[in-house]
Amino acid sequence: MSAEAAAAGASPAGAPAPAGGIEFVRASRWYGQVIALNDVTVRLGPGVTGLLGPNGAGKSTFLKLAAGQLRPSQGEVRLLGEPAWGTPALFHRVGLCPEPDAFWEGLTGLDFLLTLLRLTGFDEAECRTRAEDALRLVALVEARDRKVGGYSKGMRQRLKMAQALAHDPEVLLLDEPLTGMDPVNRRRMVDLVKQLGRQGRTVLVSSHILHEVEAMTRTVLLIHQGRILAEGDVREIRDLLDEHPHTVALRAREPRRLAAALVGAGHVLSLSFGAEGEWLTVQTAKPDELYQALMQAALDTGVSEMYSPDEDLESVFRYLVHR
Amino acid sequence: MRDTTHPVPTLSAARRVFDLSLEGMLWGRRAVVMTVLLGLPVVFALLYRGVLLARLPARIAGYDLYRGLMAYFYVGNVLPLAALFYATSLVADEVDGKTLTYLTSRPITRPAIFGGKFAAFVVAAACICLPSAVVTFLLLATARGVTGTALAVPHLFRDLGVMVLTLLAYGGVFALMGVLMRRPLIPGLLFLYVWESLANLPGYLPRFTLTAWLRSLLGHAPAMRGAAAVGEKLPPEWCVAVLVGVAAAGLALSFAVFSRREYVLEQ
Amino acid sequence: MPVYEQTYRHYEAREALRQTRFWPITREALRLVLSRRAFVVLLMGAWLPFAGFSIYLYVLTQTQLGPMAQVLPVGGPLYLRFYAWQMPIAFVLTTFAASGLVANDRRTGALVVYLSRPLTRRDYVVGKLAVPLLLTLFVTAVPALLLYLVGLALVPSLLLTRAHAWLAPSVAVQGLLVSVTISLVALAVSALSKSARAAGLAFFGLLMMLDVVQGVLQEIYDKPYFALLSPQANLRLLGEAMLGGPAPALPWYLPALVLAATGAACLLVLRRQVRAVEIVT
Repeated sequence: MSAEAAAAGASPAGAPAPAGGIEFVRASRWYGQVIALNDVTVRLGPGVTGLLGPNGAGKSTFLKLAAGQLRPSQGEVRLLGEPAWGTPALFHRVGLCPEPDAFWEGLTGLDFLLTLLRLTGFDEAECRTRAEDALRLVALVEARDRKVGGYSKGMRQRLKMAQALAHDPEVLLLDEPLTGMDPVNRRRMVDLVKQLGRQGRTVLVSSHILHEVEAMTRTVLLIHQGRILAEGDVREIRDLLDEHPHTVALRAREPRRLAAALVGAGHVLSLSFGAEGEWLTVQTAKPDELYQALMQAALDTGVSEMYSPDEDLESVFRYLVHR
Repeated sequence: MRDTTHPVPTLSAARRVFDLSLEGMLWGRRAVVMTVLLGLPVVFALLYRGVLLARLPARIAGYDLYRGLMAYFYVGNVLPLAALFYATSLVADEVDGKTLTYLTSRPITRPAIFGGKFAAFVVAAACICLPSAVVTFLLLATARGVTGTALAVPHLFRDLGVMVLTLLAYGGVFALMGVLMRRPLIPGLLFLYVWESLANLPGYLPRFTLTAWLRSLLGHAPAMRGAAAVGEKLPPEWCVAVLVGVAAAGLALSFAVFSRREYVLEQ
Repeated sequence: MPVYEQTYRHYEAREALRQTRFWPITREALRLVLSRRAFVVLLMGAWLPFAGFSIYLYVLTQTQLGPMAQVLPVGGPLYLRFYAWQMPIAFVLTTFAASGLVANDRRTGALVVYLSRPLTRRDYVVGKLAVPLLLTLFVTAVPALLLYLVGLALVPSLLLTRAHAWLAPSVAVQGLLVSVTISLVALAVSALSKSARAAGLAFFGLLMMLDVVQGVLQEIYDKPYFALLSPQANLRLLGEAMLGGPAPALPWYLPALVLAATGAACLLVLRRQVRAVEIVT
């Protein structure tokens, strides 16, 4: 785990608990005979952390436990140092953007926010100021007096974000926050989440769409079948997986000659040529040795471009899940 | 400066939940249905006055009709049904609408949420039914002139009190059913129309029903078509104590269950 | 010589819709409701009156209890009394089984999913209607006809006479009338709401209240016509006309007309409410 990643908040189990943030200690949760979350120990501190996993992986359960909406069947879940379940005072400092597309449809956007701010204990004048600010933040000022029932899906999603942010929480729990947003607002929300992370808030964003999370943070928590599969920086995770077959695509003047130069190396697992005849894709068990070998061969065969499709989250996730 | 180390004070939080819930209960479609339903006695009273105006023979005296309506229509049917409808929905509506998370992710205690909603139910139902009862009384008790009406006015106040007690007692029971069960409607209807019919049996068994205590408080209503005036007369102070006790116990248990219960809202 | 690409080709032919295409809707809804243990218990409990009446028939015909035969002899009134027991049970069962049939689909948006299949709105309504219809028939016409068979087995000499030839068809028609009326009203009320709970209570409340209203109005005016306000009273009146109850207070065609109008109104509600697109105003 790099210093950068540690600063971003994902600290290894067993390290001293951060003063704030989210802490799961051997937490499990089951519904009847189905285990939704299995013996999870993790600590998340300031910064944005992406909670990634396929549908049914346990992301929502993780988030609901963190938000004190569910009680762990076993173990402990703490939020800002307090038990998450049964500590309503915590919600002065926590904002939750739930997944369901649900509202009190008869209220206007402004009334919806005012109601929730009143329930958070603000006086009337402050409720109004905060509601206006939150609406501005999510670009809903124009629609503030319209009934929520008439909002588009993207607007509703932004309103959910606004209610999570309006009381200026230290911890933000966002369940699939970008669902249904158009590209412009998606960009806006991504920037907003990044900014919240930079401000030192603990932000946990769940999603099953990898590039969404990748756009917000490199610090991820991969979850699968109720277990934490990996945590930390995406690149670090991949580096830890020595046996992970690493793929490198090369564009060369003489790809076949380049292939001949590499084929003898023991770490090279496979070679394939692209359709246009200029690309060579190499799969290796030891990326460092491949890059070493390429230093000379690249000059001889005229390598002009090189990239690794493995750098994206999708491939790391795919690999980890099927390892 | 806000105190962020404690939840919002229970009364203050309950009042805010009350404000939020009352609006939905008073101006929703179900309020229209309840208003129409509870407006029926007024229509009956007007029809009765029409009979008298047309000098047709009336089978029943105006005040007796009022007492019959109070016993069989309001206390016997509509108010328990209204309680079943509203009180079992206190949490279920938020669960069905998946909006409960907005309430449970605020710095307010669960009893404050439930208390605010229950108070909203009692106030909303009372706002709809009490005016209807007053108008019905005025139309029927004065059907043959205002002479003697003043004597009946204390009975009106007693009846209004019984109506509120009906809402509270049945509300307490149904609120508990609402937080304990996923589908409280059928058990609620069975409670109303099977269990409560024990009130018509002789002996001590009727004391296990709310109907018997409410009926005693109202005083015996005249026998109307399909409904017989039966049952022993129980002391009024006992009646009030039992009904308030049932409401309080139902509410306290509901608080306890709601505070411990998890709600998994699936998309 | 032209060489054609051997790729996927869209099949343009149209397949005729099956006649029983509503059945999967019914089957799934029945499966769902019968998977609830409480409902199955209620359904079995609904047969208790049948057991009681069978015992009564046995005691009446196999023992020499003359006074009982005078109170409720074997014949139409006995089946009428049986229906008087079964009707409230059918209401409760229908409240349980039918209140969410359309309401839940409207709430979750499943209506659009149904109507985006090769199904017409009529198929949808028929498929949903069949659920309460089958369930109510199971607790009305089926036990009533079985009770007739019990009577036939015990006193064939009485029931196989020309005077009682009308009994079996009348019992069946009364069961059908009760079931169709209850099912149509329940489904229409369900289509008016997006909450199964609200629909259930509205259905039960409507039937209860109409009965109370007709009672109060009869109390005020002392006229039999107010019975026409209540579906239960109409069904009772028709039952009396067919199965021979007390002297009919109203000619049989009046309750028949009211029930037909009720059915038509329910179908109109369903026609209006069962739509793939909902216009939000």
